[in-house]
Amino acid sequence: MFYQTPLKTAAILLLLTAALVYSLVAAFFGLEVLTEVAILVIVAIALDLVAGYGGMISLCHGALFGVGAYAFASATVLLGWDASIGLALAILTACLFAWVIGAITARTHGIFFIMATLAFGQMGYAYVFESRTFGGDDGLPGVPRLDLSGLGIDLNDSFNFALLCLALAAVAYLLAATLLRSGFGRTLVGIRSNELRMRALGLPVWRHKAAAFAISGALAGLAGALAAQHTMFVSPGLLHWTLSGELLIMVILGGLGTLVGAVVGAGLLVFLKHEVARFTEHWHLVVGLVLIAVVLGGGRGLYGQVEHLWERRQTARKAAAAAKETPEHA
Amino acid sequence: MLEAQDLRKSFGALTVTNRVSLEVARGERRVVLGPNGAGKTTLFNLLVGELPADSGQIRIAGQDVTALSMDARARRGMARSYQKNNLFSGLTVRENLSLSAACAQGKAKTVAMDSLRDAGVAETVQEMASLVGLTELLETSADNISYGARRRLEVGLALASRPRVLLMDEPTSGIGPGGIHAFHALLRGLPAELTIVIVEHDMDLAFDIADRVTVMNFGEVVFDGPPQAARESALVKDIYLGTWAEQP
Repeated sequence: MFYQTPLKTAAILLLLTAALVYSLVAAFFGLEVLTEVAILVIVAIALDLVAGYGGMISLCHGALFGVGAYAFASATVLLGWDASIGLALAILTACLFAWVIGAITARTHGIFFIMATLAFGQMGYAYVFESRTFGGDDGLPGVPRLDLSGLGIDLNDSFNFALLCLALAAVAYLLAATLLRSGFGRTLVGIRSNELRMRALGLPVWRHKAAAFAISGALAGLAGALAAQHTMFVSPGLLHWTLSGELLIMVILGGLGTLVGAVVGAGLLVFLKHEVARFTEHWHLVVGLVLIAVVLGGGRGLYGQVEHLWERRQTARKAAAAAKETPEHA
Repeated sequence: MLEAQDLRKSFGALTVTNRVSLEVARGERRVVLGPNGAGKTTLFNLLVGELPADSGQIRIAGQDVTALSMDARARRGMARSYQKNNLFSGLTVRENLSLSAACAQGKAKTVAMDSLRDAGVAETVQEMASLVGLTELLETSADNISYGARRRLEVGLALASRPRVLLMDEPTSGIGPGGIHAFHALLRGLPAELTIVIVEHDMDLAFDIADRVTVMNFGEVVFDGPPQAARESALVKDIYLGTWAEQP
């Protein structure tokens, strides 16, 4: 079950403070990287929600991300709608797409669920790749950013856009944490633990899983719309399964089913990608080695391991305190 | 309260339940007996909807539920405990019971509040934990409690959903005499209006609580009647009770 422990709060506040401080000192390239991390944090949180807490290991979150990006780009570039409407449309479209995938795949499990989500994702990719309307493999350029000039904020400025993405990443965390602490979230964890028993208790499991997938899709759609604005360009690569794979790697690196791990993992992967790429173009190799080390090291992920050690210490402290209170037998 | 009529289930050429009929009155304690492989667990699976029947009808309180899914039947008041522990692994005893209570109280889908902190859910959890003797273990992971405690939690999960009909599949399997004695007391303390169908291999317990006994063999009901008549039945003695029926 999800609990917003003091450790989680401290870790999130620390990460957010570090990001804010970095945004103040970073130059253009640094701000671009920070924006990339913030956007990936949102979609990694979306994935952890269903994979970490709902047990639905999805290989279509890249596609949901891409659907959000394309919905935003289509509304603004093709239809000439306002970016705020484009943002709402991106969230809604990804949410709906995710609900359909969730509703259809909810009755499958394990490898079949993974393959079904992969198939849906790749169908989305293939459709966009071959669609003339969406620009085929050339994609759609000229995507505008939200207009917040009424508030005196110019989002074409990298610093302002990075701060917006950071703020939305924080909102995404709060939303996910609130959801996981609700009856809905508790039940989601119950499904992951024992789906048959949840059905025996009277829960229409597939509806719950589809709803969770839809909420996750909405978050992924939001991230996609931000990504489209960030690069001001969308291409079919945004829907490709390799992005879904990278998102899973992020969540596993940070710690599956910890929520904070999704944040840590997104940051770590982007860091590895950019820092290692300075020395070698084979940065994937290094990421692979790190992933193997994490999996062999217990599979808890970076943050997950810290949380595990913290919980163990707390349990030992409680046991020691209880032993102290119990009078010794003569 | 619970009616099954001509239930039939086959797996390929093997018929595991054949024209099984059962009528259990409200508040009745019905014990289902039979040797291993008689089709008792399959009957339970058919009744709760875990398996679809090939033919036949199932009614709860007069309402036909044959076409309903497992969860829909549970929402109509049917609950079961399993022969092998089927708990929420990785969660504490409190969290296990909370999930059941939240489902029963319509708080499993809300995003507005934490079902773990809900007063109604918490009250049911305390009550059920006390009933099945797990109050001291509420904060312990269900993976780290003894086998006997897990068996009690198994029953607690079913009870926390406040069912009208409770099916218990060998609730005392694998627990010692002390545990069986405690379980006996637990059964006696359950509300009189709760309808219970129980598969049990401990004959002292079974015959003590039974209002009526159904005996199955090779997927068919071969006896249905009062406990005393079951003890006296040559057929029941022959296929299941053996010398136990001769005991005073």
